[in-house]
Amino acid sequence: MADVDGTFLDIIKNHAVGLTDAPTRDTLVADLGIDSFAIVEIIYDVEEQLGVEIPFNANENPLGDMKTVGDLIDAVSGLMKKA
Amino acid sequence: MARRVVVTGLGVVCASGADAASFNAALSDGRTAIAEHVFTAGEGLETTAPGAKVEGVDEAVGALGRDLARADLFSQYAALAADQAVDDAGLSADEPLGDRTAVILGAGIGGHSAMEDAYVGILRKDRRPHPLTILKTIPNAAASQLSIRYGARGPAFAVSSACASGAHAIGLCANLIRSGAADRGLAGASEAVLTYGSILAWKAMHILSPDMCRPFSKERNGLVIGDGAGVLMLEAYEAAKARGAPIYAELAGFGMNADGADMINPAVDGAAGALALALEPAPSTSPDAVYVNAHGTGTLMNDPTETKAIRRVFGADADRLAVSSTKSMHGHLLGAAGAVEAVASLLAMKNGFAPPTANYQTPDPDCDLDVTPNEARPRRIDLALSNSFAFGGMNAVLAFSRV
Repeated sequence: MADVDGTFLDIIKNHAVGLTDAPTRDTLVADLGIDSFAIVEIIYDVEEQLGVEIPFNANENPLGDMKTVGDLIDAVSGLMKKA
Repeated sequence: MARRVVVTGLGVVCASGADAASFNAALSDGRTAIAEHVFTAGEGLETTAPGAKVEGVDEAVGALGRDLARADLFSQYAALAADQAVDDAGLSADEPLGDRTAVILGAGIGGHSAMEDAYVGILRKDRRPHPLTILKTIPNAAASQLSIRYGARGPAFAVSSACASGAHAIGLCANLIRSGAADRGLAGASEAVLTYGSILAWKAMHILSPDMCRPFSKERNGLVIGDGAGVLMLEAYEAAKARGAPIYAELAGFGMNADGADMINPAVDGAAGALALALEPAPSTSPDAVYVNAHGTGTLMNDPTETKAIRRVFGADADRLAVSSTKSMHGHLLGAAGAVEAVASLLAMKNGFAPPTANYQTPDPDCDLDVTPNEARPRRIDLALSNSFAFGGMNAVLAFSRV
Protein backbone atom coordinates (compact mmCIF):
# COMPACT_ATOMS: atom_id res chain seq x y z
CA MET A 1 0.00 0.00 0.00
CA ALA A 2 1.44 3.32 -1.03
CA ASP A 3 1.96 6.03 1.56
CA VAL A 4 -0.85 8.14 0.17
CA ASP A 5 -0.42 11.01 2.63
CA GLY A 6 3.34 11.29 2.09
CA THR A 7 3.19 10.95 -1.68
CA PHE A 8 0.35 13.41 -2.02
CA LEU A 9 1.98 16.00 0.24
CA ASP A 10 5.22 15.70 -1.76
CA ILE A 11 3.36 16.29 -5.01
CA ILE A 12 1.58 19.30 -3.55
CA LYS A 13 4.85 20.68 -2.23
CA ASN A 14 6.39 20.54 -5.71
CA HIS A 15 3.62 22.56 -7.29
CA ALA A 16 2.40 24.91 -4.56
CA VAL A 17 4.43 28.05 -5.15
CA GLY A 18 2.21 29.98 -2.73
CA LEU A 19 3.43 28.04 0.32
CA THR A 20 6.45 28.92 2.42
CA ASP A 21 6.05 25.98 4.83
CA ALA A 22 5.57 22.34 3.94
CA PRO A 23 1.90 21.52 3.35
CA THR A 24 -0.02 19.42 5.88
CA ARG A 25 -3.47 17.83 5.88
CA ASP A 26 -4.80 21.06 7.40
CA THR A 27 -3.45 23.37 4.70
CA LEU A 28 -6.25 25.13 2.85
CA VAL A 29 -6.39 24.41 -0.87
CA ALA A 30 -6.99 28.13 -1.39
CA ASP A 31 -3.59 28.90 0.16
CA LEU A 32 -1.59 26.64 -2.15
CA GLY A 33 -1.13 29.27 -4.86
CA ILE A 34 -1.61 26.77 -7.67
CA ASP A 35 -2.40 27.98 -11.16
CA SER A 36 -4.23 26.31 -14.02
CA PHE A 37 -1.09 24.57 -15.25
CA ALA A 38 -0.28 23.24 -11.77
CA ILE A 39 -3.73 21.69 -11.31
CA VAL A 40 -3.25 19.65 -14.46
CA GLU A 41 0.26 18.67 -13.39
CA ILE A 42 -0.82 17.68 -9.87
CA ILE A 43 -3.55 15.42 -11.24
CA TYR A 44 -1.08 13.83 -13.63
CA ASP A 45 1.48 13.24 -10.87
CA VAL A 46 -1.13 11.75 -8.53
CA GLU A 47 -2.33 9.40 -11.26
CA GLU A 48 1.21 8.35 -12.16
CA GLN A 49 2.54 7.93 -8.63
CA LEU A 50 -0.50 6.50 -6.90
CA GLY A 51 -1.81 4.46 -9.82
CA VAL A 52 -5.28 5.89 -9.61
CA GLU A 53 -7.44 7.52 -12.21
CA ILE A 54 -8.91 10.84 -11.11
CA PRO A 55 -12.36 11.33 -12.65
CA PHE A 56 -11.64 15.01 -13.10
CA ASN A 57 -13.39 16.99 -15.74
CA ALA A 58 -12.12 20.51 -16.09
CA ASN A 59 -15.61 21.60 -17.12
CA GLU A 60 -17.05 20.90 -13.68
CA ASN A 61 -16.32 22.49 -10.32
CA PRO A 62 -13.26 20.41 -9.50
CA LEU A 63 -13.21 20.87 -5.74
CA GLY A 64 -16.84 20.46 -4.71
CA ASP A 65 -16.89 20.65 -0.88
CA MET A 66 -13.19 19.92 -0.49
CA LYS A 67 -11.39 22.72 1.34
CA THR A 68 -8.19 21.29 2.81
CA VAL A 69 -5.35 19.17 1.49
CA GLY A 70 -6.63 16.44 3.84
CA ASP A 71 -9.97 16.47 2.00
CA LEU A 72 -8.10 15.90 -1.27
CA ILE A 73 -6.07 13.03 0.22
CA ASP A 74 -9.24 11.37 1.53
CA ALA A 75 -10.87 11.71 -1.88
CA VAL A 76 -7.88 10.10 -3.58
CA SER A 77 -7.78 7.33 -0.94
CA GLY A 78 -11.47 6.72 -1.59
CA LEU A 79 -10.82 6.35 -5.30
CA MET A 80 -7.96 3.94 -4.60
CA LYS A 81 -10.21 1.69 -2.48
CA LYS A 82 -12.81 1.62 -5.25
CA ALA A 83 -10.22 0.63 -7.86
CA MET B 1 -2.86 59.38 -44.14
CA ALA B 2 -2.00 55.94 -42.80
CA ARG B 3 0.30 55.86 -39.81
CA ARG B 4 3.97 55.13 -40.29
CA VAL B 5 5.42 52.18 -38.42
CA VAL B 6 8.97 52.01 -37.12
CA VAL B 7 11.18 49.45 -35.40
CA THR B 8 12.27 50.59 -31.96
CA GLY B 9 13.73 47.40 -30.53
CA LEU B 10 14.96 44.01 -31.58
CA GLY B 11 15.97 40.71 -30.09
CA VAL B 12 17.41 37.51 -31.46
CA VAL B 13 18.33 34.00 -30.42
CA CYS B 14 19.91 31.70 -32.95
CA ALA B 15 22.97 29.56 -33.47
CA SER B 16 24.93 32.63 -34.58
CA GLY B 17 24.23 34.49 -31.36
CA ALA B 18 21.78 34.77 -28.50
CA ASP B 19 21.79 38.57 -28.45
CA ALA B 20 22.04 41.34 -31.02
CA ALA B 21 25.70 42.12 -30.33
CA SER B 22 26.97 38.57 -30.79
CA PHE B 23 24.67 38.01 -33.77
CA ASN B 24 26.03 41.20 -35.35
CA ALA B 25 29.60 40.03 -34.75
CA ALA B 26 28.93 36.64 -36.38
CA LEU B 27 27.34 38.35 -39.39
CA SER B 28 30.16 40.83 -39.88
CA ASP B 29 32.79 38.10 -39.42
CA GLY B 30 30.99 35.85 -41.89
CA ARG B 31 31.15 33.00 -39.39
CA THR B 32 28.89 30.01 -39.95
CA ALA B 33 27.28 28.35 -36.95
CA ILE B 34 26.39 25.24 -38.92
CA ALA B 35 27.94 22.01 -37.64
CA GLU B 36 27.20 18.32 -37.68
CA HIS B 37 25.01 17.16 -34.78
CA VAL B 38 23.52 13.91 -33.57
CA PHE B 39 19.77 14.16 -32.99
CA THR B 40 18.34 11.55 -30.67
CA ALA B 41 15.07 10.56 -29.06
CA GLY B 42 16.62 7.85 -26.89
CA GLU B 43 18.61 4.71 -27.36
CA GLY B 44 18.51 3.32 -30.89
CA LEU B 45 16.83 6.48 -32.16
CA GLU B 46 19.66 8.54 -33.54
CA THR B 47 20.38 10.41 -36.73
CA THR B 48 23.18 12.68 -37.79
CA ALA B 49 22.77 15.86 -39.82
CA PRO B 50 24.21 19.33 -40.13
CA GLY B 51 22.23 21.87 -38.15
CA ALA B 52 22.44 25.35 -36.67
CA LYS B 53 21.69 24.65 -33.05
CA VAL B 54 21.22 27.25 -30.33
CA GLU B 55 23.75 26.55 -27.59
CA GLY B 56 24.71 28.12 -24.29
CA VAL B 57 21.30 29.50 -23.34
CA ASP B 58 20.29 26.98 -20.66
CA GLU B 59 20.90 29.44 -17.86
CA ALA B 60 18.96 32.23 -19.57
CA VAL B 61 16.08 29.83 -20.28
CA GLY B 62 16.13 28.72 -16.64
CA ALA B 63 15.85 32.35 -15.54
CA LEU B 64 12.68 32.94 -17.60
CA GLY B 65 10.53 31.83 -14.68
CA ARG B 66 7.88 29.32 -13.84
CA ASP B 67 5.42 29.83 -16.71
CA LEU B 68 8.08 29.40 -19.34
CA ALA B 69 9.76 26.49 -17.57
CA ARG B 70 6.62 24.60 -18.59
CA ALA B 71 6.71 25.72 -22.22
CA ASP B 72 8.24 24.24 -25.35
CA LEU B 73 11.61 25.45 -26.52
CA PHE B 74 10.03 27.53 -29.29
CA SER B 75 8.17 29.61 -26.69
CA GLN B 76 11.29 29.92 -24.56
CA TYR B 77 13.32 31.22 -27.51
CA ALA B 78 10.54 33.71 -28.27
CA ALA B 79 10.65 34.99 -24.70
CA LEU B 80 14.44 35.35 -24.72
CA ALA B 81 14.26 37.38 -27.94
CA ALA B 82 11.26 39.42 -26.79
CA ASP B 83 12.92 40.33 -23.47
CA GLN B 84 15.78 41.80 -25.52
CA ALA B 85 13.41 43.67 -27.83
CA VAL B 86 11.42 45.21 -24.96
CA ASP B 87 14.60 46.28 -23.21
CA ASP B 88 16.18 47.55 -26.44
CA ALA B 89 13.09 49.69 -27.08
CA GLY B 90 13.61 51.34 -23.71
CA LEU B 91 10.42 49.88 -22.25
CA SER B 92 10.17 48.23 -18.87
CA ALA B 93 9.30 44.54 -18.70
CA ASP B 94 7.84 45.21 -15.24
CA GLU B 95 5.08 47.50 -16.45
CA PRO B 96 2.26 45.88 -18.44
CA LEU B 97 2.47 46.82 -22.12
CA GLY B 98 -1.32 47.17 -22.02
CA ASP B 99 -4.39 47.16 -24.23
CA ARG B 100 -2.81 48.90 -27.21
CA THR B 101 0.10 46.47 -27.63
CA ALA B 102 -0.24 43.59 -30.09
CA VAL B 103 1.67 40.29 -30.08
CA ILE B 104 1.89 38.72 -33.51
CA LEU B 105 4.26 35.77 -33.67
CA GLY B 106 4.92 33.31 -36.42
CA ALA B 107 5.72 29.62 -36.16
CA GLY B 108 6.04 27.19 -39.03
CA ILE B 109 5.29 24.23 -36.81
CA GLY B 110 5.21 25.14 -33.13
CA GLY B 111 6.06 22.91 -30.18
CA HIS B 112 7.62 20.10 -32.12
CA SER B 113 9.67 18.61 -29.29
CA ALA B 114 6.71 18.53 -26.89
CA MET B 115 4.69 16.47 -29.36
CA GLU B 116 7.68 14.30 -30.25
CA ASP B 117 8.33 13.56 -26.56
CA ALA B 118 4.69 12.56 -26.22
CA TYR B 119 4.88 10.10 -29.09
CA VAL B 120 8.20 8.62 -27.99
CA GLY B 121 6.61 8.06 -24.57
CA ILE B 122 3.47 6.49 -26.00
CA LEU B 123 5.15 4.24 -28.54
CA ARG B 124 8.41 3.32 -26.88
CA LYS B 125 7.85 3.53 -23.16
CA ASP B 126 4.15 2.89 -22.74
CA ARG B 127 3.98 6.24 -20.97
CA ARG B 128 1.16 8.75 -21.05
CA PRO B 129 1.83 12.15 -22.63
CA HIS B 130 2.70 15.01 -20.30
CA PRO B 131 -0.55 16.78 -19.36
CA LEU B 132 0.65 20.07 -20.83
CA THR B 133 1.60 18.59 -24.21
CA ILE B 134 -1.20 20.37 -26.06
CA LEU B 135 -0.52 23.74 -24.42
CA LYS B 136 3.17 23.42 -25.23
CA THR B 137 2.55 22.41 -28.83
CA ILE B 138 -0.11 24.79 -30.15
CA PRO B 139 1.45 27.28 -32.58
CA ASN B 140 0.05 30.25 -30.64
CA ALA B 141 1.79 29.12 -27.42
CA ALA B 142 4.67 31.55 -27.93
CA ALA B 143 2.35 34.49 -28.72
CA SER B 144 0.24 33.66 -25.67
CA GLN B 145 3.27 33.35 -23.40
CA LEU B 146 4.51 36.77 -24.50
CA SER B 147 1.13 38.37 -24.08
CA ILE B 148 1.01 37.01 -20.50
CA ARG B 149 4.64 37.85 -19.78
CA TYR B 150 4.31 41.53 -20.69
CA GLY B 151 0.62 42.12 -19.99
CA ALA B 152 0.13 42.91 -23.68
CA ARG B 153 -3.64 42.81 -24.19
CA GLY B 154 -4.08 44.10 -27.72
CA PRO B 155 -4.59 41.83 -30.75
CA ALA B 156 -2.56 38.63 -30.37
CA PHE B 157 -2.34 35.56 -32.53
CA ALA B 158 0.03 33.23 -34.33
CA VAL B 159 0.78 33.35 -38.02
CA SER B 160 1.72 30.20 -39.86
CA SER B 161 2.97 30.21 -43.43
CA ALA B 162 5.99 27.89 -43.23
CA CYS B 163 9.19 29.75 -44.07
CA ALA B 164 7.34 33.06 -44.52
CA SER B 165 5.68 33.05 -41.05
CA GLY B 166 8.11 35.53 -39.50
CA ALA B 167 7.87 38.05 -42.34
CA HIS B 168 4.09 37.71 -42.44
CA ALA B 169 3.90 38.26 -38.66
CA ILE B 170 5.97 41.44 -38.84
CA GLY B 171 4.07 42.76 -41.86
CA LEU B 172 0.67 41.98 -40.37
CA CYS B 173 1.58 43.55 -37.04
CA ALA B 174 2.63 46.72 -38.86
CA ASN B 175 -0.69 46.71 -40.71
CA LEU B 176 -2.55 46.44 -37.38
CA ILE B 177 -0.69 49.49 -36.14
CA ARG B 178 -1.34 51.34 -39.40
CA SER B 179 -5.04 50.56 -39.18
CA GLY B 180 -5.24 51.84 -35.61
CA ALA B 181 -6.01 48.44 -34.04
CA ALA B 182 -2.87 48.80 -31.91
CA ASP B 183 -0.22 51.45 -31.20
CA ARG B 184 2.70 49.09 -30.94
CA GLY B 185 3.42 45.39 -31.07
CA LEU B 186 5.87 42.61 -30.50
CA ALA B 187 6.26 40.93 -33.88
CA GLY B 188 8.45 38.12 -35.04
CA ALA B 189 8.62 34.36 -34.94
CA SER B 190 10.26 31.41 -33.30
CA GLU B 191 10.96 27.82 -34.22
CA ALA B 192 12.60 24.81 -32.58
CA VAL B 193 12.43 21.81 -34.85
CA LEU B 194 15.90 20.33 -34.49
CA THR B 195 14.57 17.05 -33.17
CA TYR B 196 15.11 13.45 -34.15
CA GLY B 197 11.72 12.96 -35.78
CA SER B 198 11.74 16.28 -37.54
CA ILE B 199 15.19 15.73 -39.03
CA LEU B 200 14.07 12.32 -40.33
CA ALA B 201 11.03 13.97 -41.92
CA TRP B 202 13.23 16.59 -43.57
CA LYS B 203 15.60 13.87 -44.75
CA ALA B 204 12.67 11.99 -46.25
CA MET B 205 11.93 15.05 -48.36
CA HIS B 206 15.47 14.88 -49.76
CA ILE B 207 15.97 18.58 -49.43
CA LEU B 208 18.55 18.77 -46.63
CA SER B 209 22.18 19.31 -47.40
CA PRO B 210 24.36 16.44 -46.19
CA ASP B 211 27.13 18.82 -45.18
CA MET B 212 26.77 22.60 -45.49
CA CYS B 213 24.46 25.39 -46.63
CA ARG B 214 26.01 27.09 -49.68
CA PRO B 215 23.45 29.52 -51.10
CA PHE B 216 23.97 30.68 -54.69
CA SER B 217 27.07 28.47 -55.09
CA LYS B 218 27.35 26.00 -57.92
CA GLU B 219 28.00 23.35 -55.22
CA ARG B 220 24.82 24.09 -53.24
CA ASN B 221 23.12 20.87 -52.22
CA GLY B 222 20.26 21.75 -49.92
CA LEU B 223 19.19 23.60 -46.84
CA VAL B 224 20.34 23.26 -43.25
CA ILE B 225 17.83 23.68 -40.44
CA GLY B 226 18.42 26.16 -37.61
CA ASP B 227 16.55 26.96 -34.40
CA GLY B 228 15.80 30.25 -32.73
CA ALA B 229 13.67 33.36 -32.67
CA GLY B 230 13.65 36.97 -33.76
CA VAL B 231 11.35 39.60 -32.27
CA LEU B 232 10.90 43.27 -33.13
CA MET B 233 9.16 46.04 -31.23
CA LEU B 234 7.10 47.92 -33.80
CA GLU B 235 5.58 51.29 -32.95
CA ALA B 236 3.61 54.03 -34.56
CA TYR B 237 6.22 56.58 -35.66
CA GLU B 238 4.67 59.57 -33.92
CA ALA B 239 4.43 57.71 -30.61
CA ALA B 240 8.00 56.45 -30.86
CA LYS B 241 9.24 59.94 -31.66
CA ALA B 242 7.23 61.49 -28.84
CA ARG B 243 8.79 59.22 -26.24
CA GLY B 244 12.28 59.62 -27.70
CA ALA B 245 12.62 55.93 -28.56
CA PRO B 246 15.60 54.73 -30.58
CA ILE B 247 14.49 54.09 -34.18
CA TYR B 248 16.19 51.42 -36.29
CA ALA B 249 14.14 51.92 -39.43
CA GLU B 250 10.68 52.36 -40.83
CA LEU B 251 8.84 49.34 -42.12
CA ALA B 252 8.15 51.18 -45.34
CA GLY B 253 6.77 48.30 -47.38
CA PHE B 254 5.30 44.85 -47.02
CA GLY B 255 4.50 42.70 -50.03
CA MET B 256 2.64 39.44 -49.77
CA ASN B 257 1.06 37.10 -52.27
CA ALA B 258 0.84 33.44 -53.23
CA ASP B 259 2.20 31.54 -56.20
CA GLY B 260 -0.97 29.47 -56.38
CA ALA B 261 1.03 26.87 -58.21
CA ASP B 262 2.97 24.22 -56.30
CA MET B 263 3.63 22.99 -52.75
CA ILE B 264 7.39 22.69 -53.25
CA ASN B 265 8.64 24.53 -56.31
CA PRO B 266 8.94 28.30 -56.09
CA ALA B 267 7.74 30.57 -58.90
CA VAL B 268 9.44 33.66 -60.33
CA ASP B 269 6.09 35.43 -60.82
CA GLY B 270 5.10 35.12 -57.16
CA ALA B 271 8.48 36.11 -55.75
CA ALA B 272 8.86 39.06 -58.13
CA GLY B 273 5.27 40.15 -57.43
CA ALA B 274 5.80 40.20 -53.65
CA LEU B 275 9.07 42.07 -54.06
CA ALA B 276 7.41 44.69 -56.27
CA LEU B 277 4.56 45.12 -53.78
CA ALA B 278 7.03 45.73 -50.95
CA LEU B 279 8.99 48.26 -53.00
CA GLU B 280 5.99 50.23 -54.23
CA PRO B 281 5.39 52.35 -51.09
CA ALA B 282 9.07 52.42 -50.08
CA PRO B 283 11.08 55.59 -50.76
CA SER B 284 12.96 55.60 -54.02
CA THR B 285 16.55 54.63 -53.20
CA SER B 286 19.75 54.35 -55.17
CA PRO B 287 20.48 50.67 -55.84
CA ASP B 288 23.95 51.34 -54.40
CA ALA B 289 22.32 51.81 -50.99
CA VAL B 290 20.05 48.76 -51.13
CA TYR B 291 20.70 45.48 -49.35
CA VAL B 292 18.66 42.38 -50.11
CA ASN B 293 18.60 39.67 -47.46
CA ALA B 294 17.65 36.87 -49.81
CA HIS B 295 15.54 33.86 -48.97
CA GLY B 296 18.59 32.00 -50.34
CA THR B 297 17.95 28.53 -48.98
CA GLY B 298 20.81 26.86 -50.80
CA THR B 299 18.45 24.51 -52.61
CA LEU B 300 18.71 23.76 -56.30
CA MET B 301 15.39 25.44 -57.06
CA ASN B 302 15.13 28.48 -54.78
CA ASP B 303 18.32 30.34 -55.56
CA PRO B 304 18.04 30.66 -59.38
CA THR B 305 14.31 31.42 -59.07
CA GLU B 306 15.00 34.17 -56.56
CA THR B 307 17.81 35.52 -58.75
CA LYS B 308 15.41 35.78 -61.70
CA ALA B 309 12.77 37.46 -59.52
CA ILE B 310 15.24 40.10 -58.26
CA ARG B 311 16.46 40.72 -61.82
CA ARG B 312 12.93 41.09 -63.10
CA VAL B 313 12.06 43.72 -60.47
CA PHE B 314 15.31 45.71 -60.51
CA GLY B 315 16.27 45.33 -64.17
CA ALA B 316 19.71 46.73 -64.92
CA ASP B 317 19.98 48.04 -61.34
CA ALA B 318 20.09 44.46 -60.03
CA ASP B 319 23.86 44.29 -60.46
CA ARG B 320 24.33 47.26 -58.14
CA LEU B 321 22.48 45.60 -55.24
CA ALA B 322 24.25 43.89 -52.38
CA VAL B 323 22.49 40.56 -51.95
CA SER B 324 23.26 37.81 -49.46
CA SER B 325 21.80 34.81 -47.74
CA THR B 326 22.58 34.86 -44.05
CA LYS B 327 21.10 31.33 -43.86
CA SER B 328 24.64 30.29 -44.76
CA MET B 329 25.51 31.26 -41.17
CA HIS B 330 22.43 30.81 -38.95
CA GLY B 331 20.74 28.10 -40.99
CA HIS B 332 17.15 28.04 -42.17
CA LEU B 333 14.93 28.83 -39.20
CA LEU B 334 11.74 27.93 -41.09
CA GLY B 335 8.94 29.90 -39.45
CA ALA B 336 11.46 32.12 -37.69
CA ALA B 337 13.61 32.73 -40.79
CA GLY B 338 11.90 35.95 -41.82
CA ALA B 339 12.11 37.32 -38.27
CA VAL B 340 15.78 36.53 -37.67
CA GLU B 341 16.64 37.79 -41.15
CA ALA B 342 14.73 41.01 -40.49
CA VAL B 343 16.96 41.44 -37.43
CA ALA B 344 20.03 40.75 -39.60
CA SER B 345 18.87 43.35 -42.13
CA LEU B 346 18.26 45.97 -39.43
CA LEU B 347 21.66 45.36 -37.83
CA ALA B 348 23.28 45.63 -41.26
CA MET B 349 21.56 48.97 -41.84
CA LYS B 350 22.43 50.28 -38.40
CA ASN B 351 26.07 49.20 -38.50
CA GLY B 352 26.73 49.96 -42.16
CA PHE B 353 27.68 46.64 -43.69
CA ALA B 354 26.36 44.00 -46.04
CA PRO B 355 26.56 40.60 -44.33
CA PRO B 356 28.11 37.96 -46.56
CA THR B 357 26.89 34.73 -48.05
CA ALA B 358 29.24 32.37 -46.21
CA ASN B 359 30.51 29.01 -47.47
CA TYR B 360 30.45 30.32 -51.03
CA GLN B 361 32.57 28.39 -53.52
CA THR B 362 32.04 28.45 -57.28
CA PRO B 363 29.81 30.99 -59.05
CA ASP B 364 26.68 29.61 -60.71
CA PRO B 365 25.67 31.49 -63.89
CA ASP B 366 22.02 31.00 -62.87
CA CYS B 367 22.68 32.84 -59.58
CA ASP B 368 24.71 35.71 -60.94
CA LEU B 369 23.85 38.59 -58.61
CA ASP B 370 26.44 40.11 -56.32
CA VAL B 371 25.82 37.75 -53.40
CA THR B 372 28.56 39.26 -51.21
CA PRO B 373 30.60 36.05 -51.14
CA ASN B 374 32.25 35.06 -47.85
CA GLU B 375 33.23 38.48 -46.59
CA ALA B 376 31.09 41.26 -45.21
CA ARG B 377 31.43 44.59 -46.98
CA PRO B 378 31.05 48.12 -45.61
CA ARG B 379 27.94 49.64 -47.14
CA ARG B 380 25.59 52.44 -46.38
CA ILE B 381 22.15 50.86 -46.46
CA ASP B 382 19.12 53.11 -46.88
CA LEU B 383 16.75 50.34 -47.89
CA ALA B 384 16.92 46.74 -46.70
CA LEU B 385 14.70 44.11 -48.24
CA SER B 386 14.10 40.79 -46.53
CA ASN B 387 12.69 38.03 -48.73
CA SER B 388 10.74 35.02 -47.52
CA PHE B 389 9.37 32.53 -50.05
CA ALA B 390 7.72 29.61 -48.30
CA PHE B 391 6.78 26.05 -49.09
CA GLY B 392 3.25 26.09 -50.38
CA GLY B 393 4.05 29.14 -52.50
CA MET B 394 3.48 31.81 -49.83
CA ASN B 395 5.59 34.91 -50.29
CA ALA B 396 6.31 37.81 -47.95
CA VAL B 397 8.83 40.61 -48.43
CA LEU B 398 9.67 43.31 -45.88
CA ALA B 399 11.15 46.67 -46.89
CA PHE B 400 12.91 48.63 -44.14
CA SER B 401 13.98 52.18 -44.90
CA ARG B 402 16.28 54.48 -42.99
CA VAL B 403 14.43 57.14 -41.00
